Amino acid sequence: MKKAIVSVFIATLMASLFVLSLRTGILHLSHSVFSLIGKHGSTDAITVWDVRFPRAVGALIIGAGLGVAGGLAQAIFRNPLAEPTLIGLSSGATLGSITVIGTGIAAYGSIVNALFAVVFAMGAASLVQLLAPNKGNGFLLTGLALSAVLTAIAGLVITISPKPGIQSLAFWNFGSLTLLNNSTVLMISPFIVIGLILAFALSPSLDGYSLGETTSHFLGINPRKLRFISIISMALLVGASVSAVGAIAFLGLLVPHIVRLLIGPAHRGMLLMSALVGATLLVLADLLARTIAQPHEIPLGLLTSLLGAPALIILLRLQRSQWVDHD
Amino acid sequence: MIEIKEISFSRPTKEIFKGFSALVPATGSTLLTGANGSGKTTLINLIGGVLKPNAGCIIINGLDVAKLSAKEQSKIRSVAPQRRIFDLAFTVNQLLEIVSVESRAAHSPDVLEALEIDALADLKITELSIGQQQRVSVALALIQEASFYLLDEPLSAQDVNHQDRTLDLVTMIAKEHGVLVVAHNSAAFEPRFDAHISI
Repeated sequence: MKKAIVSVFIATLMASLFVLSLRTGILHLSHSVFSLIGKHGSTDAITVWDVRFPRAVGALIIGAGLGVAGGLAQAIFRNPLAEPTLIGLSSGATLGSITVIGTGIAAYGSIVNALFAVVFAMGAASLVQLLAPNKGNGFLLTGLALSAVLTAIAGLVITISPKPGIQSLAFWNFGSLTLLNNSTVLMISPFIVIGLILAFALSPSLDGYSLGETTSHFLGINPRKLRFISIISMALLVGASVSAVGAIAFLGLLVPHIVRLLIGPAHRGMLLMSALVGATLLVLADLLARTIAQPHEIPLGLLTSLLGAPALIILLRLQRSQWVDHD
Repeated sequence: MIEIKEISFSRPTKEIFKGFSALVPATGSTLLTGANGSGKTTLINLIGGVLKPNAGCIIINGLDVAKLSAKEQSKIRSVAPQRRIFDLAFTVNQLLEIVSVESRAAHSPDVLEALEIDALADLKITELSIGQQQRVSVALALIQEASFYLLDEPLSAQDVNHQDRTLDLVTMIAKEHGVLVVAHNSAAFEPRFDAHISI
Protein backbone atom coordinates (compact mmCIF):
# COMPACT_ATOMS: atom_id res chain seq x y z
CA MET A 1 0.00 0.00 0.00
CA LYS A 2 2.75 2.36 1.05
CA LYS A 3 4.65 1.41 -2.10
CA ALA A 4 1.64 2.19 -4.29
CA ILE A 5 1.11 5.61 -2.70
CA VAL A 6 4.82 6.47 -2.99
CA SER A 7 4.89 5.32 -6.64
CA VAL A 8 1.83 7.35 -7.60
CA PHE A 9 3.20 10.41 -5.83
CA ILE A 10 6.59 10.20 -7.54
CA ALA A 11 5.07 9.45 -10.94
CA THR A 12 2.84 12.52 -10.61
CA LEU A 13 5.80 14.63 -9.56
CA MET A 14 7.78 13.32 -12.52
CA ALA A 15 5.00 14.09 -15.01
CA SER A 16 4.56 17.60 -13.62
CA LEU A 17 8.28 18.32 -13.78
CA PHE A 18 8.36 16.98 -17.33
CA VAL A 19 5.63 19.38 -18.48
CA LEU A 20 7.23 22.20 -16.50
CA SER A 21 10.56 21.62 -18.21
CA LEU A 22 8.85 21.83 -21.62
CA ARG A 23 7.28 25.16 -20.59
CA THR A 24 10.28 26.75 -18.91
CA GLY A 25 13.31 28.32 -20.48
CA ILE A 26 14.85 31.55 -21.75
CA LEU A 27 12.22 31.84 -24.45
CA HIS A 28 8.76 32.45 -22.99
CA LEU A 29 6.09 30.52 -24.83
CA SER A 30 3.08 32.45 -26.06
CA HIS A 31 1.03 29.22 -26.21
CA SER A 32 0.50 26.50 -23.65
CA VAL A 33 2.50 23.32 -24.15
CA PHE A 34 -0.65 21.25 -24.65
CA SER A 35 -1.91 23.52 -27.45
CA LEU A 36 1.38 22.89 -29.29
CA ILE A 37 0.85 19.13 -29.49
CA GLY A 38 0.92 18.15 -33.16
CA LYS A 39 1.99 21.66 -34.26
CA HIS A 40 5.22 22.28 -36.20
CA GLY A 41 7.09 25.19 -37.66
CA SER A 42 6.37 28.04 -35.25
CA THR A 43 9.12 29.33 -32.95
CA ASP A 44 7.20 28.00 -29.97
CA ALA A 45 6.78 24.56 -31.55
CA ILE A 46 10.46 24.33 -32.53
CA THR A 47 11.55 25.41 -29.05
CA VAL A 48 9.33 22.85 -27.38
CA TRP A 49 9.62 19.83 -29.72
CA ASP A 50 13.19 20.16 -31.04
CA VAL A 51 14.99 21.70 -28.06
CA ARG A 52 13.18 21.11 -24.78
CA PHE A 53 11.40 17.83 -25.57
CA PRO A 54 14.54 15.77 -26.37
CA ARG A 55 16.21 17.24 -23.31
CA ALA A 56 13.34 16.36 -21.00
CA VAL A 57 12.84 12.88 -22.48
CA GLY A 58 16.61 12.36 -22.41
CA ALA A 59 16.66 13.38 -18.74
CA LEU A 60 13.88 10.86 -18.00
CA ILE A 61 15.49 7.85 -19.63
CA ILE A 62 19.06 8.69 -18.59
CA GLY A 63 17.92 9.41 -15.03
CA ALA A 64 16.01 6.12 -14.93
CA GLY A 65 19.05 4.30 -16.31
CA LEU A 66 21.53 5.82 -13.88
CA GLY A 67 19.22 5.25 -10.90
CA VAL A 68 18.85 1.58 -11.79
CA ALA A 69 22.57 1.20 -12.56
CA GLY A 70 23.32 2.59 -9.09
CA GLY A 71 20.84 0.22 -7.42
CA LEU A 72 22.26 -2.71 -9.35
CA ALA A 73 25.87 -1.76 -8.53
CA GLN A 74 25.10 -1.54 -4.81
CA ALA A 75 23.27 -4.87 -4.92
CA ILE A 76 25.80 -6.78 -6.96
CA PHE A 77 28.87 -5.56 -5.08
CA ARG A 78 26.94 -5.67 -1.80
CA ASN A 79 28.27 -2.26 -0.91
CA PRO A 80 26.29 0.93 -0.23
CA LEU A 81 29.08 2.99 -1.78
CA ALA A 82 29.20 1.22 -5.11
CA GLU A 83 28.07 3.30 -8.05
CA PRO A 84 28.94 3.45 -11.73
CA THR A 85 31.54 6.20 -11.26
CA LEU A 86 33.36 4.37 -8.48
CA ILE A 87 33.64 1.03 -10.20
CA GLY A 88 35.13 2.25 -13.47
CA LEU A 89 31.97 2.12 -15.61
CA SER A 90 31.66 5.87 -16.18
CA SER A 91 35.33 6.53 -16.81
CA GLY A 92 35.53 3.49 -19.10
CA ALA A 93 32.53 4.78 -21.06
CA THR A 94 34.04 8.28 -21.23
CA LEU A 95 37.31 6.94 -22.57
CA GLY A 96 35.48 4.78 -25.13
CA SER A 97 33.43 7.72 -26.30
CA ILE A 98 36.34 10.12 -26.47
CA THR A 99 38.56 7.62 -28.26
CA VAL A 100 36.17 7.08 -31.17
CA ILE A 101 35.36 10.78 -31.47
CA GLY A 102 39.01 11.83 -31.07
CA THR A 103 40.28 9.41 -33.68
CA GLY A 104 37.49 10.31 -36.06
CA ILE A 105 36.04 6.78 -36.18
CA ALA A 106 32.61 8.10 -35.27
CA ALA A 107 30.91 11.36 -34.36
CA TYR A 108 29.17 12.40 -31.13
CA GLY A 109 25.62 11.11 -31.09
CA SER A 110 26.32 8.19 -33.45
CA ILE A 111 25.49 4.59 -32.59
CA VAL A 112 29.15 3.58 -32.97
CA ASN A 113 30.03 6.14 -30.31
CA ALA A 114 27.47 4.62 -27.92
CA LEU A 115 28.62 1.08 -28.71
CA PHE A 116 32.23 1.94 -27.93
CA ALA A 117 31.18 3.59 -24.68
CA VAL A 118 29.27 0.43 -23.68
CA VAL A 119 32.13 -1.90 -24.57
CA PHE A 120 34.72 0.23 -22.78
CA ALA A 121 32.46 0.46 -19.73
CA MET A 122 32.16 -3.30 -19.67
CA GLY A 123 35.90 -3.68 -20.12
CA ALA A 124 36.64 -1.29 -17.27
CA ALA A 125 34.20 -3.02 -14.91
CA SER A 126 35.66 -6.43 -15.79
CA LEU A 127 39.18 -5.13 -15.25
CA VAL A 128 38.23 -3.86 -11.78
CA GLN A 129 36.78 -7.30 -10.96
CA LEU A 130 39.95 -8.96 -12.20
CA LEU A 131 42.40 -6.68 -10.40
CA ALA A 132 40.55 -6.24 -7.10
CA PRO A 133 42.03 -8.19 -4.17
CA ASN A 134 38.61 -8.68 -2.56
CA LYS A 135 34.97 -7.67 -2.91
CA GLY A 136 34.94 -5.10 -0.10
CA ASN A 137 36.97 -1.94 0.20
CA GLY A 138 39.74 -3.38 -1.97
CA PHE A 139 37.23 -3.58 -4.77
CA LEU A 140 36.10 0.03 -4.44
CA LEU A 141 39.67 1.30 -4.13
CA THR A 142 40.67 -0.62 -7.25
CA GLY A 143 37.70 0.92 -9.04
CA LEU A 144 38.68 4.36 -7.84
CA ALA A 145 42.30 3.92 -8.98
CA LEU A 146 41.36 2.54 -12.37
CA SER A 147 38.82 5.35 -12.84
CA ALA A 148 41.53 7.92 -12.17
CA VAL A 149 43.82 6.32 -14.76
CA LEU A 150 41.07 6.08 -17.38
CA THR A 151 39.96 9.68 -16.79
CA ALA A 152 43.55 10.84 -17.14
CA ILE A 153 43.96 8.92 -20.41
CA ALA A 154 40.69 10.43 -21.64
CA GLY A 155 42.06 13.89 -20.78
CA LEU A 156 45.21 13.12 -22.77
CA VAL A 157 43.18 12.04 -25.79
CA ILE A 158 41.18 15.27 -25.62
CA THR A 159 44.34 17.36 -25.33
CA ILE A 160 46.08 15.87 -28.34
CA SER A 161 43.03 15.31 -30.54
CA PRO A 162 42.59 17.82 -33.35
CA LYS A 163 38.89 17.00 -33.71
CA PRO A 164 36.71 20.01 -32.88
CA GLY A 165 33.66 17.83 -32.10
CA ILE A 166 35.25 16.09 -29.13
CA GLN A 167 33.82 18.50 -26.52
CA SER A 168 35.67 19.79 -23.50
CA LEU A 169 36.88 17.72 -20.57
CA ALA A 170 34.35 19.61 -18.47
CA PHE A 171 31.53 18.29 -20.65
CA TRP A 172 32.60 14.67 -20.12
CA ASN A 173 33.43 15.02 -16.43
CA PHE A 174 30.49 17.10 -15.28
CA GLY A 175 27.86 16.00 -17.73
CA SER A 176 25.45 18.19 -19.63
CA LEU A 177 22.20 17.66 -21.45
CA THR A 178 22.75 20.66 -23.76
CA LEU A 179 23.69 18.57 -26.79
CA LEU A 180 20.70 16.23 -26.64
CA ASN A 181 18.54 16.27 -29.73
CA ASN A 182 15.76 13.98 -30.88
CA SER A 183 18.01 11.70 -32.90
CA THR A 184 20.53 11.20 -30.08
CA VAL A 185 17.74 10.39 -27.63
CA LEU A 186 16.26 7.93 -30.12
CA MET A 187 19.68 6.34 -30.62
CA ILE A 188 20.45 5.76 -26.91
CA SER A 189 16.92 4.62 -26.00
CA PRO A 190 17.27 0.97 -27.12
CA PHE A 191 20.50 0.60 -25.12
CA ILE A 192 18.83 1.92 -22.00
CA VAL A 193 15.63 -0.05 -22.50
CA ILE A 194 17.58 -3.32 -22.89
CA GLY A 195 19.71 -2.42 -19.85
CA LEU A 196 16.58 -1.77 -17.79
CA ILE A 197 14.90 -5.00 -18.89
CA LEU A 198 18.01 -7.01 -17.93
CA ALA A 199 18.16 -5.29 -14.55
CA PHE A 200 14.48 -5.89 -13.79
CA ALA A 201 14.82 -9.52 -14.89
CA LEU A 202 17.65 -10.00 -12.39
CA SER A 203 15.94 -8.24 -9.51
CA PRO A 204 14.19 -11.30 -7.98
CA SER A 205 17.59 -13.01 -7.56
CA LEU A 206 19.22 -9.96 -5.97
CA ASP A 207 17.48 -10.43 -2.62
CA GLY A 208 18.87 -13.94 -2.24
CA TYR A 209 22.24 -12.70 -3.50
CA SER A 210 22.32 -10.10 -0.71
CA LEU A 211 22.63 -12.99 1.75
CA GLY A 212 26.16 -13.64 0.53
CA GLU A 213 27.94 -15.66 -2.13
CA THR A 214 27.68 -19.03 -0.35
CA THR A 215 24.03 -18.66 0.60
CA SER A 216 23.13 -17.56 -2.94
CA HIS A 217 24.59 -20.80 -4.22
CA PHE A 218 22.65 -22.76 -1.59
CA LEU A 219 19.48 -20.97 -2.75
CA GLY A 220 20.09 -21.97 -6.36
CA ILE A 221 21.46 -18.67 -7.61
CA ASN A 222 24.63 -18.69 -9.70
CA PRO A 223 26.46 -15.62 -8.39
CA ARG A 224 28.96 -15.42 -11.25
CA LYS A 225 26.25 -15.46 -13.87
CA LEU A 226 24.31 -12.84 -11.94
CA ARG A 227 27.34 -10.52 -11.75
CA PHE A 228 28.12 -11.03 -15.43
CA ILE A 229 24.62 -10.10 -16.60
CA SER A 230 24.56 -7.17 -14.15
CA ILE A 231 27.75 -5.77 -15.63
CA ILE A 232 26.26 -6.01 -19.12
CA SER A 233 23.14 -4.22 -17.90
CA MET A 234 25.10 -1.48 -16.11
CA ALA A 235 27.43 -1.01 -19.08
CA LEU A 236 24.45 -0.55 -21.41
CA LEU A 237 22.80 1.96 -19.06
CA VAL A 238 25.92 3.93 -18.18
CA GLY A 239 27.72 3.61 -21.53
CA ALA A 240 24.79 4.92 -23.57
CA SER A 241 24.20 7.78 -21.10
CA VAL A 242 27.83 8.84 -20.96
CA SER A 243 28.17 8.80 -24.75
CA ALA A 244 25.31 11.31 -24.96
CA VAL A 245 25.62 13.51 -21.87
CA GLY A 246 28.93 12.73 -20.16
CA ALA A 247 29.32 11.39 -16.62
CA ILE A 248 26.69 12.71 -14.21
CA ALA A 249 27.94 12.50 -10.64
CA PHE A 250 26.08 11.25 -7.58
CA LEU A 251 22.78 10.28 -9.16
CA GLY A 252 23.58 6.57 -9.22
CA LEU A 253 24.85 6.70 -5.65
CA LEU A 254 22.04 8.79 -4.23
CA VAL A 255 18.94 7.28 -5.84
CA PRO A 256 19.09 3.78 -4.25
CA HIS A 257 19.55 5.34 -0.81
CA ILE A 258 16.44 7.47 -1.28
CA VAL A 259 14.50 4.45 -2.51
CA ARG A 260 15.49 2.18 0.38
CA LEU A 261 14.40 4.88 2.78
CA LEU A 262 11.04 5.16 0.99
CA ILE A 263 10.13 1.51 0.43
CA GLY A 264 12.77 -0.68 2.11
CA PRO A 265 15.50 -2.88 0.70
CA ALA A 266 13.63 -5.59 -1.31
CA HIS A 267 15.11 -5.37 -4.80
CA ARG A 268 12.07 -6.18 -6.91
CA GLY A 269 10.38 -2.90 -6.00
CA MET A 270 13.65 -1.17 -5.33
CA LEU A 271 14.97 -1.19 -8.91
CA LEU A 272 11.63 -0.13 -10.40
CA MET A 273 11.39 2.70 -7.90
CA SER A 274 15.03 3.65 -8.62
CA ALA A 275 14.06 4.16 -12.27
CA LEU A 276 11.20 6.42 -11.24
CA VAL A 277 13.20 8.43 -8.68
CA GLY A 278 16.25 8.69 -10.97
CA ALA A 279 14.12 10.01 -13.84
CA THR A 280 12.39 12.53 -11.58
CA LEU A 281 15.63 13.80 -10.05
CA LEU A 282 17.40 14.24 -13.37
CA VAL A 283 14.48 16.15 -14.93
CA LEU A 284 14.45 18.34 -11.82
CA ALA A 285 18.24 18.82 -11.87
CA ASP A 286 18.24 19.75 -15.55
CA LEU A 287 15.36 22.16 -15.02
CA LEU A 288 17.29 23.85 -12.21
CA ALA A 289 20.57 23.83 -14.15
CA ARG A 290 19.09 25.81 -17.00
CA THR A 291 16.83 28.15 -15.05
CA ILE A 292 18.38 29.27 -11.75
CA ALA A 293 21.19 31.32 -13.32
CA GLN A 294 19.60 32.51 -16.55
CA PRO A 295 20.87 33.34 -19.11
CA HIS A 296 23.73 31.06 -18.03
CA GLU A 297 23.40 27.33 -17.72
CA ILE A 298 25.05 25.61 -14.78
CA PRO A 299 26.84 22.37 -15.74
CA LEU A 300 24.49 19.60 -14.66
CA GLY A 301 27.19 17.56 -12.91
CA LEU A 302 28.12 20.57 -10.77
CA LEU A 303 24.53 20.83 -9.64
CA THR A 304 24.12 17.09 -8.95
CA SER A 305 27.34 17.15 -6.90
CA LEU A 306 26.40 20.35 -5.11
CA LEU A 307 22.96 19.05 -4.11
CA GLY A 308 23.53 15.31 -4.27
CA ALA A 309 26.51 15.01 -1.98
CA PRO A 310 24.95 16.80 1.04
CA ALA A 311 21.68 14.93 0.41
CA LEU A 312 23.60 11.67 0.50
CA ILE A 313 25.22 12.53 3.82
CA ILE A 314 21.83 13.31 5.35
CA LEU A 315 20.34 10.11 3.96
CA LEU A 316 23.21 7.99 5.23
CA ARG A 317 22.63 9.35 8.71
CA LEU A 318 18.89 8.74 8.44
CA GLN A 319 19.14 5.17 7.27
CA ARG A 320 21.99 3.84 9.34
CA SER A 321 19.96 0.76 10.09
CA GLN A 322 19.48 -0.21 6.43
CA TRP A 323 23.01 -1.43 5.75
CA VAL A 324 25.08 -3.36 8.22
CA ASP A 325 28.68 -2.62 9.13
CA HIS A 326 30.59 -5.86 9.31
CA ASP A 327 33.49 -4.55 11.30
CA MET B 1 20.96 -41.02 0.34
CA ILE B 2 24.06 -38.83 0.25
CA GLU B 3 27.11 -40.85 -0.72
CA ILE B 4 30.46 -39.25 -0.05
CA LYS B 5 32.86 -41.36 -2.10
CA GLU B 6 36.61 -41.28 -1.56
CA ILE B 7 36.85 -37.51 -1.65
CA SER B 8 40.06 -35.55 -1.32
CA PHE B 9 40.19 -31.84 -0.69
CA SER B 10 43.05 -29.51 0.15
CA ARG B 11 43.37 -25.90 1.20
CA PRO B 12 46.54 -24.16 -0.05
CA THR B 13 48.28 -24.88 3.25
CA LYS B 14 46.52 -27.97 4.49
CA GLU B 15 45.13 -31.28 3.29
CA ILE B 16 41.66 -31.62 4.80
CA PHE B 17 40.24 -34.81 3.27
CA LYS B 18 42.10 -37.70 1.70
CA GLY B 19 39.99 -40.58 0.39
CA PHE B 20 37.20 -39.77 2.85
CA SER B 21 33.93 -41.68 2.53
CA ALA B 22 30.65 -41.49 4.44
CA LEU B 23 26.92 -42.00 4.02
CA VAL B 24 23.99 -39.85 5.09
CA PRO B 25 20.79 -41.92 5.02
CA ALA B 26 17.71 -40.68 3.15
CA THR B 27 15.74 -40.48 6.37
CA GLY B 28 16.93 -40.02 9.92
CA SER B 29 19.16 -37.56 11.72
CA THR B 30 22.93 -37.69 11.42
CA LEU B 31 25.34 -35.87 13.72
CA LEU B 32 28.61 -34.63 12.18
CA THR B 33 31.37 -33.99 14.70
CA GLY B 34 35.07 -33.28 14.64
CA ALA B 35 37.73 -31.12 16.26
CA ASN B 36 38.04 -27.42 15.38
CA GLY B 37 39.50 -27.08 11.91
CA SER B 38 38.91 -30.72 11.04
CA GLY B 39 36.74 -29.78 8.05
CA LYS B 40 33.11 -29.98 9.24
CA THR B 41 32.10 -26.76 7.47
CA THR B 42 34.26 -27.73 4.47
CA LEU B 43 32.31 -30.99 4.23
CA ILE B 44 28.99 -29.10 4.34
CA ASN B 45 30.27 -26.80 1.58
CA LEU B 46 31.39 -29.81 -0.48
CA ILE B 47 28.00 -31.52 -0.14
CA GLY B 48 26.35 -28.14 -0.76
CA GLY B 49 28.31 -27.77 -4.00
CA VAL B 50 30.06 -24.49 -3.11
CA LEU B 51 33.37 -26.35 -3.08
CA LYS B 52 34.36 -29.15 -5.42
CA PRO B 53 36.46 -32.12 -4.26
CA ASN B 54 39.89 -32.51 -5.89
CA ALA B 55 39.15 -36.22 -6.24
CA GLY B 56 36.21 -38.50 -5.57
CA CYS B 57 32.57 -37.47 -5.80
CA ILE B 58 29.45 -36.73 -3.82
CA ILE B 59 26.24 -38.38 -4.97
CA ILE B 60 22.85 -37.16 -3.71
CA ASN B 61 19.80 -39.25 -4.65
CA GLY B 62 21.91 -40.87 -7.38
CA LEU B 63 23.04 -37.54 -8.89
CA ASP B 64 26.63 -36.27 -8.91
CA VAL B 65 26.59 -32.85 -7.18
CA ALA B 66 29.44 -31.58 -9.35
CA LYS B 67 27.34 -32.04 -12.46
CA LEU B 68 24.25 -30.19 -11.21
CA SER B 69 23.54 -26.47 -11.58
CA ALA B 70 23.06 -24.33 -8.48
CA LYS B 71 19.32 -24.37 -9.20
CA GLU B 72 19.15 -28.16 -9.47
CA GLN B 73 21.18 -28.60 -6.28
CA SER B 74 18.88 -26.24 -4.39
CA LYS B 75 15.92 -28.51 -5.15
CA ILE B 76 17.43 -31.59 -3.47
CA ARG B 77 19.18 -30.09 -0.44
CA SER B 78 18.84 -27.03 1.73
CA VAL B 79 21.65 -25.61 3.85
CA ALA B 80 21.85 -23.45 6.97
CA PRO B 81 25.42 -22.15 6.88
CA GLN B 82 27.33 -21.53 10.09
CA ARG B 83 27.47 -17.79 9.44
CA ARG B 84 24.96 -15.90 7.38
CA ILE B 85 25.58 -12.46 5.95
CA PHE B 86 22.75 -10.00 6.38
CA ASP B 87 23.79 -6.85 4.48
CA LEU B 88 20.36 -5.34 4.23
CA ALA B 89 17.80 -4.72 6.93
CA PHE B 90 15.15 -7.17 5.71
CA THR B 91 12.42 -8.17 8.13
CA VAL B 92 12.33 -11.83 9.15
CA ASN B 93 9.14 -12.24 7.14
CA GLN B 94 10.77 -10.80 4.01
CA LEU B 95 13.66 -13.24 4.43
CA LEU B 96 11.29 -16.19 4.75
CA GLU B 97 9.67 -15.10 1.48
CA ILE B 98 13.03 -14.60 -0.25
CA VAL B 99 14.19 -18.18 0.39
CA SER B 100 10.85 -19.80 -0.46
CA VAL B 101 9.78 -17.96 -3.58
CA GLU B 102 8.26 -20.98 -5.31
CA SER B 103 6.98 -23.16 -2.48
CA ARG B 104 7.48 -24.08 1.14
CA ALA B 105 8.06 -27.47 2.70
CA ALA B 106 4.98 -29.11 4.22
CA HIS B 107 6.57 -29.02 7.69
CA SER B 108 7.13 -25.22 7.52
CA PRO B 109 4.44 -24.30 10.10
CA ASP B 110 6.07 -26.69 12.60
CA VAL B 111 9.46 -25.07 11.92
CA LEU B 112 8.16 -21.57 12.53
CA GLU B 113 6.43 -22.67 15.72
CA ALA B 114 9.30 -24.72 17.16
CA LEU B 115 11.88 -22.01 16.51
CA GLU B 116 9.48 -19.29 17.74
CA ILE B 117 9.83 -17.31 14.53
CA ASP B 118 6.35 -15.76 14.57
CA ALA B 119 7.31 -13.45 17.42
CA LEU B 120 10.22 -12.17 15.31
CA ALA B 121 8.40 -11.96 11.96
CA ASP B 122 8.09 -8.20 11.69
CA LEU B 123 11.46 -7.35 13.21
CA LYS B 124 14.50 -6.44 11.14
CA ILE B 125 17.07 -9.23 11.05
CA THR B 126 19.82 -6.73 11.85
CA GLU B 127 18.15 -5.85 15.15
CA LEU B 128 18.04 -9.42 16.46
CA SER B 129 20.45 -11.04 18.91
CA ILE B 130 22.96 -13.61 17.64
CA GLY B 131 20.84 -16.43 19.07
CA GLN B 132 17.68 -15.13 17.41
CA GLN B 133 19.52 -14.67 14.10
CA GLN B 134 20.71 -18.26 14.35
CA ARG B 135 17.14 -19.52 14.86
CA VAL B 136 16.01 -17.49 11.84
CA SER B 137 18.92 -18.87 9.82
CA VAL B 138 17.92 -22.46 10.67
CA ALA B 139 14.28 -21.69 9.86
CA LEU B 140 15.31 -20.22 6.49
CA ALA B 141 16.92 -23.55 5.59
CA LEU B 142 14.20 -25.81 6.99
CA ILE B 143 11.22 -24.14 5.28
CA GLN B 144 12.70 -24.80 1.84
CA GLU B 145 11.50 -27.88 0.05
CA ALA B 146 14.29 -30.47 -0.18
CA SER B 147 15.18 -34.12 0.44
CA PHE B 148 18.12 -33.28 2.69
CA TYR B 149 18.77 -30.57 5.24
CA LEU B 150 22.33 -29.65 6.20
CA LEU B 151 22.58 -27.56 9.36
CA ASP B 152 26.01 -26.18 10.22
CA GLU B 153 26.21 -25.47 13.97
CA PRO B 154 22.50 -24.70 14.45
CA LEU B 155 22.77 -24.97 18.25
CA SER B 156 25.94 -23.03 19.12
CA ALA B 157 24.25 -19.77 20.15
CA GLN B 158 21.09 -21.33 21.67
CA ASP B 159 20.17 -21.72 25.32
CA VAL B 160 19.36 -25.23 26.56
CA ASN B 161 15.63 -24.76 26.01
CA HIS B 162 16.04 -23.70 22.39
CA GLN B 163 18.63 -26.41 21.74
CA ASP B 164 16.06 -28.90 22.96
CA ARG B 165 13.29 -27.50 20.76
CA THR B 166 15.61 -27.47 17.73
CA LEU B 167 16.63 -31.10 18.33
CA ASP B 168 12.97 -32.16 18.67
CA LEU B 169 12.29 -30.40 15.37
CA VAL B 170 15.21 -32.20 13.72
CA THR B 171 13.87 -35.54 14.95
CA MET B 172 10.43 -34.72 13.57
CA ILE B 173 11.72 -33.62 10.13
CA ALA B 174 14.10 -36.60 10.00
CA LYS B 175 11.10 -38.97 9.85
CA GLU B 176 10.75 -38.12 6.18
CA HIS B 177 14.03 -36.41 5.29
CA GLY B 178 17.75 -36.80 5.78
CA VAL B 179 19.06 -34.23 8.26
CA LEU B 180 22.78 -33.68 8.80
CA VAL B 181 23.66 -31.55 11.83
CA VAL B 182 27.12 -30.19 12.66
CA ALA B 183 27.79 -29.70 16.36
CA HIS B 184 31.00 -29.36 18.31
CA ASN B 185 29.48 -30.09 21.73
CA SER B 186 28.82 -33.64 20.58
CA ALA B 187 28.65 -35.68 23.79
CA ALA B 188 25.49 -33.94 24.99
CA PHE B 189 23.63 -34.28 21.70
CA GLU B 190 24.74 -37.68 20.42
CA PRO B 191 21.91 -39.73 22.01
CA ARG B 192 19.37 -37.59 20.13
CA PHE B 193 20.66 -38.67 16.68
CA ASP B 194 20.15 -41.82 14.62
CA ALA B 195 23.67 -41.84 13.17
CA HIS B 196 27.05 -40.23 13.73
CA ILE B 197 29.85 -39.22 11.39
CA SER B 198 33.11 -38.26 13.02
CA ILE B 199 35.91 -36.61 11.08
